[in-house]
Amino acid sequence: MSPADKTTFPLGTAASRGLNCCHTCGRLATFKKTHCPRCHTHLHPRIPHSLQRTLALTLAAAVLYIPANTMPIMVVTAFNGTVENTILGGVVTFWEMHAYPVAAIIFIASVVIPILKLISLVWLCVVSRPSRRAENSPAAPHRATRIYRLTELVGRWSMVDVFVVTILVAVVQFGQVMSISPGPAALAFAAVVVLTMLAAHSFDPRLIWDAQKKHQSS
Amino acid sequence: MSDPHHFVACPECDALFTLPPLDSGHSAVCSRCGARLYTARPRALQRATAWSLAAATFFVIAVTFPFLSLESTGQSSQLHLAGSVAALAENGSPSLAAAVAVFILAAPAFMIAGTLYLSVPLLAGTLPPLVNRVAHLLTVVRQWNMPEVFLIGVLVSFLKLHHLSEITLGVSFYAFIATIVCLTASLASAGPRSFWHQIELATP
Repeated sequence: MSPADKTTFPLGTAASRGLNCCHTCGRLATFKKTHCPRCHTHLHPRIPHSLQRTLALTLAAAVLYIPANTMPIMVVTAFNGTVENTILGGVVTFWEMHAYPVAAIIFIASVVIPILKLISLVWLCVVSRPSRRAENSPAAPHRATRIYRLTELVGRWSMVDVFVVTILVAVVQFGQVMSISPGPAALAFAAVVVLTMLAAHSFDPRLIWDAQKKHQSS
Repeated sequence: MSDPHHFVACPECDALFTLPPLDSGHSAVCSRCGARLYTARPRALQRATAWSLAAATFFVIAVTFPFLSLESTGQSSQLHLAGSVAALAENGSPSLAAAVAVFILAAPAFMIAGTLYLSVPLLAGTLPPLVNRVAHLLTVVRQWNMPEVFLIGVLVSFLKLHHLSEITLGVSFYAFIATIVCLTASLASAGPRSFWHQIELATP
């Protein structure tokens, strides 16, 4: 442990003192106990296979991100024909309507945030992997933790586009005149959001700091 | 180290601390990574109960009454919250409809009911049956609870619709906003950690 660690957390880490912190309720228990005495969750010092799980889920989300953007998110059938709308097409439509704030909201929520989430999840796995640990600078874990928190926080907000489709499909059912049905991209996009949320949840942020500790003691 | 009760580990970096006595409303923050460890909330159970009861009332209204009605080229249609999910299933995507039903109906309903299921008996100092299971589920379901995201989606779709139809907001729309406010306040007054703490205190 470095001198800086001694002043900020003189007791060290729970793991270094032989204590498990329950993932569900936060209760501390000694390594000897296999289940949390308070909520009976199975105890581990860290989430088992955290980086593998996170990477696998992120990869699955990245694959589904392709149909989510190339296939139509909704199909508008009117008396003058059928129009298929993609996510980016919707952004362009709002932009041409001069509804710039709405175009920006959809573009950020549906395009920028999912891509940034995929990148940051992969990046978190890379900087936290055991072989990389010695290369980390002292400021690195603070930055990584900030990115982790942001990834957890924004996860749900990407679902906006799916809900827009829900409302439009429900409301615009005027028979021959005009009707809207969901396209395959809607389900793919919902799956991307769910998978990245699961990936963020599988990532154990304590691994970021374990990397730091190994670096300082070496 | 023989008694782990007085210690708290940071959930984000695993640093170990002794839990300091806190003034009400104050939070303990991890000095290593800055994560919030614990907030002292006076009368957490009372507040959670009150907000959840209000949320339950508004939620029932939000589900029962029409969400909005709209008129276009002489045809009018009325939309209920559950109806919007049903329309998604009828027009080609039952699996997406199921997911949306979880995010905007089932998850909020469970968060409200689950909070009341725990907070009311705990106020009386007793433990309801399956207390651990319900408290565990509350932490799991919480991340899938997205009524506020749905509200943004509704507002965006209004902008898409306004040029082709006349929209009238229903009672349910306002009740839904009130549900979001009350449910958020309820979850902020008694987080999962404070429930676990109360459960431990009530356990004989």
